[in-house]
Amino acid sequence: MDLFLQQVANGLIIGSTYAVVALGFALAFTVLRVINFAHPEVFMVGMFAGLVAGALYPAGGFLFAILMGALAAGVVGFLIERTVIKPLRGRDVLSTLIGTLGVAIMLQNGMAIIAGPDPVAYPTLLPRKMVDIGPVVLTMRQLTNFGVCILLLGFVSFYVRATKLGRATRAIAERPDVAAAFGINVGLVCTVTIVIASMMGGVAAVSVGTLYGSAWAFVGLLYGLKAFTCMLVAGNRYFEGVMVVGLGIGIIEALVTGYISSSLKDAVAFFVLIGVLYFRPNGLFGSYSQ
Amino acid sequence: MYSFLEPIFIFTLLSIMQVLGLYITAMSGQLSMATAAIAGVGAYLSAILTVKMGWGFPPAILMAGLAGAVVGVVLAFITLRMRDFILKLTTIAFGEALAVLAFNWDYIGGANSFTGIAPQTTIVTCLVGTLVALYVTWRFDGSRLGFAARAIRDDPIAATAMGVSLGQLRCVTFALGATIIGIAGAIQAHYVLVVSPHDLGFFVSLNFIIFLLFGGIQTMWGPVLGAILLTALPEALRFAKEYRLIVYGLIIVLVILKRPQGLMTRTPTGRAKKLFGFIISPERPPQAPAHVKHEFNTEAGAQPKS
Repeated sequence: MDLFLQQVANGLIIGSTYAVVALGFALAFTVLRVINFAHPEVFMVGMFAGLVAGALYPAGGFLFAILMGALAAGVVGFLIERTVIKPLRGRDVLSTLIGTLGVAIMLQNGMAIIAGPDPVAYPTLLPRKMVDIGPVVLTMRQLTNFGVCILLLGFVSFYVRATKLGRATRAIAERPDVAAAFGINVGLVCTVTIVIASMMGGVAAVSVGTLYGSAWAFVGLLYGLKAFTCMLVAGNRYFEGVMVVGLGIGIIEALVTGYISSSLKDAVAFFVLIGVLYFRPNGLFGSYSQ
Repeated sequence: MYSFLEPIFIFTLLSIMQVLGLYITAMSGQLSMATAAIAGVGAYLSAILTVKMGWGFPPAILMAGLAGAVVGVVLAFITLRMRDFILKLTTIAFGEALAVLAFNWDYIGGANSFTGIAPQTTIVTCLVGTLVALYVTWRFDGSRLGFAARAIRDDPIAATAMGVSLGQLRCVTFALGATIIGIAGAIQAHYVLVVSPHDLGFFVSLNFIIFLLFGGIQTMWGPVLGAILLTALPEALRFAKEYRLIVYGLIIVLVILKRPQGLMTRTPTGRAKKLFGFIISPERPPQAPAHVKHEFNTEAGAQPKS
């Protein structure tokens, strides 16, 4: 039973990261109908920005690094939106995928030239401390990562339901033409959406970098495909659904690692995807019609 | 010089074969994102047959093609009910699941890859394979089945109403495309001499989709051009050293932004295309004016010229 609880806790922590990256995909896909494959690379840029901030100004601590990570990711996200995603809006979804993938290749290899192709050690931003919660033992960093991700998820939920821009976001997701006819500035909302998604990715990236103690130019590959799968499993109708699926897939992965074998864990998300899409072609929680 | 060019030449030919298989698959509107996985099934099977069972190379290739067809039909059945774009992406999961299966199966080497394959592939093998693939694609493109497949791609409901069987056609296109891909995988396995589970992954498949969209999906020559250019490009960019992948990404982005329909498009007049006096695309009946025709193209088809 202790092993079970421990694995569930570990799963929640990794799953919360999946959920944040998946939300970045979901926001871009729902609002702009663009599959933003550059998003995991924006995550990577945020991670390195946090690393530089933490190394240059250690007195700022974790919060300063997170701030810098969000800022850098937001700027990169904004630039990508202006140059590539905006012209691709309204195109066939696959060309958006290929276009943003080109950007992803550039970012990955650009960072590999700057930082080297191997993982780089992260500055120590949080103390190494164990925390006991009942039968479960977690590190301080794990808890912080979980807290940061849950805060981000809560923020998105609040944003899309309670703010004016957020409601406009959902209106555009439902019917872009009608939303525009009601006076919503579609272009502005799209830009804001991408920037918000990017900044969220940046924040999560710094906390993940601190958690594992390293940053890597190809880290986007680890999270990108799985987060993308989470979005497909959930469907894009409810952002909360994406969060639940992200956490769920994290938990299942951790359980598979604990009870069966760690090499099978990467397949979990994909088996779940095939199963869910076969029986519920619109995702677990439904999708907007295309 | 020759030894430097040979691998590039062989890999270009193999890319052409696989992208043609993908082109046939994509013709009926379902873009398979499991190209590498199907090629991997062919590669693993042929490797098992030649190394563990002692078969000859040619029958192993044929069996690989057959295995590819079987996988293709299974994939077609799984995705048959799925129509929206998102659901085409189930094929991603299919490929990844196969990759993980290969990863955990010790009989075929597991994570250590399948090694010990004898080198059998020569340039001639690749050339013959590519020519056969080109011929098959060319014939299929101009056949009744090819037209029916394109009708389904452009408007499934209208095509079904005209008596085209959607399920049957998707099975045919998936099976035919996957056969070519499986054969290409087998040939590749006997050139690279190693089959690793990573070769089945999504990012390898994505290369072929980039070839397809880069070259243009409207004719069979677009994907061929895309495969040739993009396989040779990273080699041609070698002088740029570590920056070549950045340039590669930049070129892909620019082409997608500036020429969304791909490099090569169909002539809108319905005339047969000629190259040095040879007809390279079959004669087709006069078509409706561009603006009428394009109303039905939901995706993957021609973009109206403004």
